[in-house]
Amino acid sequence: MTHEPQIHILPPKHRSIFFWFLVLIFLVTLPSLIFYTTGYRLSFENEETSIVTTGGMYVTTDNLEVDVYLDEGQVERPRLFRSAYYIQNISAGQHQIVVQSPGYQTWVKELPVDSRVVTEASAFNLPELTQIRPITLYETATGTSVYFSSQIIDTVFAQASSTEPYYYSTSTATTTLQLNSEFLFVESLFGSSSTSTQSVFSRFLEGVGRFGFATTTPKTPAASTTPVKRTVRGDMELFDENSELYARWLGSATAIPYYFCVSSSSAASTTQRYGEHVAQAVEAARISTSTPLLIDTDRVCRTQVQLNRLRQDVFYYDFFPNSSDLVLMQLQNGIYVTEIDDRAWQNTQLLYPGTDIQTIVENDVIYIKDGEYYFQIATQIETN
Amino acid sequence: MSEKSHLLPYAQRSDFKVARANELTGTDRRFFRFLEIVPGVAAWATIVGIVLASIYTPFIAAYFIIAFSIYWVLKTIFLSYHVRYNWKRLKHHMELDWGAMVQRFSYDKYYHLVIFPFYKEPIEVLEQTIQGVLAAKYDTQKLIVVFAAEARAGAEAEAVARTLEDKYADSFGHFLVTIHPSDIVGEIAGKGSNVHWALQQVKQQVIDVQNIPYQNILTSIFDIDTVIYPDYFNCLIWFFMTVENPYKSCFQPVPLFTNNLWEASALSRVMAMSSTFWQMIMQERPEKAATFSSHSVSFQALYEIGYGQANVVSEDSRIFWNLMIANDGNFEVVSMSYPIAMDATTASTFWGTIANIYRQHRRWTYGVENWCYIVYHFTKNKAIPLKKRWSVALLQGEGYWSLVTNPIMLFILGWAPIFLGTREFHETVLSYELPIMVRNLLIVAMFGLVVSAVISLSLTPPRPDGHSRFRYVVMMLQWIMVPLTMIIFSAIPGLDAQTRLMFGRYMGFWVTPKARTK
Repeated sequence: MTHEPQIHILPPKHRSIFFWFLVLIFLVTLPSLIFYTTGYRLSFENEETSIVTTGGMYVTTDNLEVDVYLDEGQVERPRLFRSAYYIQNISAGQHQIVVQSPGYQTWVKELPVDSRVVTEASAFNLPELTQIRPITLYETATGTSVYFSSQIIDTVFAQASSTEPYYYSTSTATTTLQLNSEFLFVESLFGSSSTSTQSVFSRFLEGVGRFGFATTTPKTPAASTTPVKRTVRGDMELFDENSELYARWLGSATAIPYYFCVSSSSAASTTQRYGEHVAQAVEAARISTSTPLLIDTDRVCRTQVQLNRLRQDVFYYDFFPNSSDLVLMQLQNGIYVTEIDDRAWQNTQLLYPGTDIQTIVENDVIYIKDGEYYFQIATQIETN
Repeated sequence: MSEKSHLLPYAQRSDFKVARANELTGTDRRFFRFLEIVPGVAAWATIVGIVLASIYTPFIAAYFIIAFSIYWVLKTIFLSYHVRYNWKRLKHHMELDWGAMVQRFSYDKYYHLVIFPFYKEPIEVLEQTIQGVLAAKYDTQKLIVVFAAEARAGAEAEAVARTLEDKYADSFGHFLVTIHPSDIVGEIAGKGSNVHWALQQVKQQVIDVQNIPYQNILTSIFDIDTVIYPDYFNCLIWFFMTVENPYKSCFQPVPLFTNNLWEASALSRVMAMSSTFWQMIMQERPEKAATFSSHSVSFQALYEIGYGQANVVSEDSRIFWNLMIANDGNFEVVSMSYPIAMDATTASTFWGTIANIYRQHRRWTYGVENWCYIVYHFTKNKAIPLKKRWSVALLQGEGYWSLVTNPIMLFILGWAPIFLGTREFHETVLSYELPIMVRNLLIVAMFGLVVSAVISLSLTPPRPDGHSRFRYVVMMLQWIMVPLTMIIFSAIPGLDAQTRLMFGRYMGFWVTPKARTK
């Protein structure tokens, strides 16, 4: 018979050994993990082991189903926050990032990555076939839009798809139908606005003309003479000046979006990293009194970026719904969306093609009038 | 004979049973008040310091958080090692025949004085408790059972005790019902003052009358929901007879909060088992422990310190510190690694359960008042070895500090540099890697919960009729709540308690409600 337990209390010596073993692990692990989290990696390239410093790239997307490629290599999809890609272990230098998805337009950018620093970017991918929601004068009792002409199919739905079913009536009788109050509202919007029927360039010329009649000074179009339309969202302002379109930051230097800024190195370096147009814009800002350069500790920031209007006249512009980084522009051959971020280049994607169209953004909803038809453009991208 | 002549020399000091600064005068009062402020200031300074560091020195804050996360993983491994080892020892002790093991000792002369303080708990709770004592594999004629009622609980509580007396008095060597008066000056209402009164009464009415030597009485002070395992008294005798200094030792069983585990919510179960695990850890490092909840000690030792304090909230641990300080540091906790069953904290509603668990843990974490007590007396009692004074003070202080700050630092402040850091910090790889690294380290630490889940299932009582087997799955999965429970039921009530003490808003004793499904 046993007189005492066979398992005794944990010997202090065992505890002590285990404790100091864990202390040793701590001392080894801590510097390793600190180096790792600051961007240092072990490199085994060329059969040599060395320590290299890496940077990262953080890309947000508006579409959960996109594929992201870095220098033509596909990036693994994030598991949790699928609308943001954090790409680790990128060597310092220029890198091309591509965001694409079947059925969507491709977003491409070439950006510099620095050691121990993360470069940010925000991608957008509009569908190749725009989704629209018909808005008709009449609708059925169940709310289905009703068209009285088959022409609609040829003119509109050849270049867009409808998010809702619509009904084509061969009869013009409306007794079984009901008036659509939304149609009346949208119709009144276009009736009261002329913003998209006249181009920025036309208004610029008008401004020059008015200036000419009002004064006797030479007809040199000064900036202040152009009738300027301004649109503001948060601290971001869109405005046109001398037939060009600009985005301007109105807020503080601490909150300025990353794409306004470049590292405070030489113009040559800026040209190499972001393109000549960015270097020129930075240099212009240095001597500008109206749009001064914001100088931070390790970077300089412009407060104004010129938008790419594809060498066309701009008939209408506004912020893309629910975004202050994307701009909606109605140009001569259609409605486009462009990013303000002009590092390397500005991605500009076609939203809706057409020449005989008008556009209005009201309460973050894009309405278009194509000929005699009214639509809302779906901006919440439907993914399968 | 002087009223204090039977006390140990240090226990005769007028400030031996000090509970609050306002009971002292002059420098002592200021010093004690300073000690009351220290834990709260330390906790708040840590939390605010990390927030400020995240704002102004985010890189340093980030490095600190990485270091702390690694420390947490290793601490989890270290503590899991202790839990796993104690689990083996506990299971082994539960399988032993302690009755046979104590046969080699001459222990007939020893009595077990068992004190059950209670308030307004229903008779079903008391019945289950007393049935546990009756089921003990021990000569019940050697048991002195005391049901200690509170006068402030009214006649109903006394009636419950009298009912039990009528029913069970003959089953034990001695059975006593004591009624603790509600108007004794200098006491606070609670378990401590009730036990203090009961010990005096049983001495007068039983022990002295029967001429039982104090050295021959082992006193077990049990919460009213304590249901002992059958060999508890044999196990206690075995340890009492085999330890080096039986009269300089407290005997600590492992509290398993399993009486109502099948009726309790997942939240209650997690909290109950977490408390058990902490006690299992302390069982393997008793030199760092104090007594907790139900425990046993010789009557002689209690008599020499005047039965502990009637003016503190955390009386279960304070009694050990009284004993340790009065005995010049020569007093220790002996880990029995033998279970007793108690109740998990519950209520009839979900929110009631949350409130009860919160209040109970706030009361437990108010044990920080003991830190003030021990540090105060460590500066007075130079007979305690200096090394011991420093190590105990630092260890206990770190314990109360980490209890409050660690969960908050780990699960909330770990992300602070990301949200509060400067623009320069946000652009760095470190800013992006920090949450990934902390998350990965926490996942590694969470593997410790798998150990917890397995051990908790093995300690769960057999499934009663009417409960689905699916409950076992829930009992495994319930452990994912631990990060949340650590903040809500450890850190926040701890911070609450320390802040109250810091501002001198002293807490009273809150009685955890007990109930039984009828």
